[in-house]
Amino acid sequence: MNHDIPVGQLGAQGEIMAHAIDACVHCGFCLPACPTYALLGDEMDSPRGRIFLMKEVLEGELPLFDAAPHLDRCLGCMGCVTACPSGVPYGELITSFRGWSEPQRERSAFDKAKRAAILKILPAPKLFSVAARIGQYAKPLAPLLPSALRSPLDLLPEHVPAMQNLPRFTPAQGERRARVAFLEGCAQQALAPNFNAATLRVLAHNGVEVVIPGGQGCCGAAALHTGARGEALKLARANLKAFNPDDYDAILSNAGGCGAGLREYPEVLRGLPEEQAAQALSAKVMDISTFLAHLSEDGGLEPFEPTSRPLSVAYHDACHLAHAQGIRAQPRALLRLIPGVTVLEVPEGDLCCGSAGTYNLEQPDLASQLGARKAGNVLSTKPDLVASGNIGCHTQLQSHLRRQGSKVPVHHTIEILDLAYRGEL
Amino acid sequence: MSLMTTKRTPKPVSTSRPLSPLAAELTRLLGPQKVLSSRAERLNYGYDAILVGKTPLCVVLPESTADVVAAVRAARAAGVPIVGRGAASGLSGGAAPLEESLVIAFTRMTRLEIFAAQREARAQAGVITLAISDAARPHGLVYPPDPASFRTSTIGGNLAENAGGPMCFKYGVTGDYVKALEFVDADGEVHHLTRGAFDLAGLLIGSEGTLGLITEATLRLSTPPRFTRTLMSHFAEVGQAAQAVSEAIAAGAVPSKLEFMDRACVGAVEDYLQIGLPREAEAVLLVDTDGEDLATVEEELALVEAACLHHGGKVRRAASDADSAALWRARRSISPSLGRIRPQRMNEDIVVPRSSLAEVVREIKALGEASGLRLVQFGHIGDGNLHPNILFDPRRESSEKVHELAHQVAQVAIRHGGVLSGEHGIGAMKRGFMAEAVDPVTISALWSVKHALDPQGRLNPGKILPDEIRSDEIRSDEISLDEISLDARP
Repeated sequence: MNHDIPVGQLGAQGEIMAHAIDACVHCGFCLPACPTYALLGDEMDSPRGRIFLMKEVLEGELPLFDAAPHLDRCLGCMGCVTACPSGVPYGELITSFRGWSEPQRERSAFDKAKRAAILKILPAPKLFSVAARIGQYAKPLAPLLPSALRSPLDLLPEHVPAMQNLPRFTPAQGERRARVAFLEGCAQQALAPNFNAATLRVLAHNGVEVVIPGGQGCCGAAALHTGARGEALKLARANLKAFNPDDYDAILSNAGGCGAGLREYPEVLRGLPEEQAAQALSAKVMDISTFLAHLSEDGGLEPFEPTSRPLSVAYHDACHLAHAQGIRAQPRALLRLIPGVTVLEVPEGDLCCGSAGTYNLEQPDLASQLGARKAGNVLSTKPDLVASGNIGCHTQLQSHLRRQGSKVPVHHTIEILDLAYRGEL
Repeated sequence: MSLMTTKRTPKPVSTSRPLSPLAAELTRLLGPQKVLSSRAERLNYGYDAILVGKTPLCVVLPESTADVVAAVRAARAAGVPIVGRGAASGLSGGAAPLEESLVIAFTRMTRLEIFAAQREARAQAGVITLAISDAARPHGLVYPPDPASFRTSTIGGNLAENAGGPMCFKYGVTGDYVKALEFVDADGEVHHLTRGAFDLAGLLIGSEGTLGLITEATLRLSTPPRFTRTLMSHFAEVGQAAQAVSEAIAAGAVPSKLEFMDRACVGAVEDYLQIGLPREAEAVLLVDTDGEDLATVEEELALVEAACLHHGGKVRRAASDADSAALWRARRSISPSLGRIRPQRMNEDIVVPRSSLAEVVREIKALGEASGLRLVQFGHIGDGNLHPNILFDPRRESSEKVHELAHQVAQVAIRHGGVLSGEHGIGAMKRGFMAEAVDPVTISALWSVKHALDPQGRLNPGKILPDEIRSDEIRSDEISLDEISLDARP
């Protein structure tokens, strides 16, 4: 797309944005991949429309205020990136744009407080756990609250589990096949501590030594994707210190969003002194499913116990696995290794469930419509279990499946592998 | 992939108050949710997939034919031109306004009904093309026309441009599936047309919104073939591929799809999908044969294979349905993938007699090489429909040179007895070549039709027809080729 963006004045982030806008040929192939276009049916709420709006704002032709409602509705799901033949790095564009535009936004005091609270609590598992417990008791009051406060409560599980302290070092069982570092994630430590516990068990069982480096923290994706670039930089720098890529065969995440967040560091730090370190770290980052799939192909995994009865597992593609990292085949292949498991495909599987980081809290109406649509699609496959590889999707699926009266268990892929090893499936 | 809005969603209301008298009137008539008038909203309705036209004065998102009627009457009263728009995935500038206009965007008119017993679908203009087959398939039926953008494009847009696709070699183009149309004329009257004499539905098909706005269509469905086989062949020279095509068809093969792409196209699409296409080949053919009888399907594929081998091609048969699906996804991705080579392009849609194919592709390739610009070719070679694309960077390459090359390519087609558009429409992009491609008597007849249906010239002005000139004045060199600048500033 032709543009007159004053790239020189915008620095490294400006180059990222201008490059993405250059690459768009406005073909419209992204339209059917966009959840908000599916809901709203207007061009401003499509990727192509948003690229055009960002271009106009960057050129100084359109006030940010006019474009903001449409840009804010973008989930950042990257569905459009998968659909884009001309290779527009839309994720880099919207992320850079949000970082560039946030300081110019005029937000209400309530809005500011809400954003500050989210960005304070989300990356701090202990704080999050306390908040979640309070929220759990406030849940019955939800119908009385305004929607901005109601939406986070709706997502809480009926029971908030106790946090677990994980060992800093987990030795490999049997012959050591690899040594990895593990990113614990944030919300999942409070909401689903078994994700991490199961991850350590499955890795150790397969001869993998796991280190949980101290000093690590939130990957910064939530801050980065909501435009809090300063906060994101701080978190990225902390993790660059905590994880030395030379010490490990891989740096693992079991949350699609967090893994994708770490892999974004080179763009976040573009033009800054840490850019090279970011590239080195990013090159070692792997989702747990990719890592296990590699092990499976290269020497095999320990055999799984067969299930007690045939089990149909609906696999939900998390956007930050499928669209942001191209991870689709690996989790499915792992589930199929369990004797007795059939993997089901969810209709409209490319379409975001509406969780999308903090989207649920910022755009509750659209998030809820997408959640209901996703739950309906999942249930149409009549699954015995639902698997996904991201905490945000997990809570969203659980919440909307329950609302539709379904009791179908929702698990992380790694939990299902763990259950199979324990003979509990 | 989501293909349609399954239920009504509360639409966000335009953030500002109506910014023009027309927008105010339309808001009064239709309510604020169906009318867009802020600049941020209107900006998004000035382009299609090839051209950035003028930002519209106002946009209406109708939900019924009655809404369209109201919008047309209001625009008529205000003296504002009207441009219809589907998903704006078109490649001729058909949906991009050239004057300050009211854009009527049909993306919310998505009602679709399947009448399995009659083998018919009734679709409002905003129904996404692929959604028709998706809805028909449970009844054992499909809607064959398959433009590459069929996940995005709307049936209204397909009708307006009479869109084709790989399937049209054997199964025909959009217009061949129309049984009846509903359209709103320039005065806001609603008409229901069938295909009997006079075939006025046929007149509307491919008229690009210059004669009326199609609001609904009744479409013929068919049963999908029981067997399909796919083959890919690649060649060391483009002309060889074209010769293989002619020979295969002369031998009696009727493939359902017969597609061609040159080396640059293969490279661009391989960059996107990484499925192992032969990057080193100068030309690739992608072929489907299909039918009810497996032996015949295999026999036809064998005829194609023999012709390819005879002309030096290397042949690979698709091993599975998934393999075949991946190859066809690659084919559908060519056009937008070309953005990886240069940010902008001028695309052509010529159709030439099959007997001239080898000569035509060679001549066009040579013109591209001589011009110093990047020219690539792909297309539905089975029916002689080629898409030479000139790829350029407007900041570094002159648009005069691009237009000149585009003109030369068009002349190659005309010289070989061909036409300018097979399936994309003339729109704004190829309007400048019309006076050379169509004789003055025909152009004057087309203008008579236009005047009869749109006397004020308010429907999609500046599209298809060259400026009206008296036939005794027509000289081809008087037609300006750069009336429109590509991707012009809105």
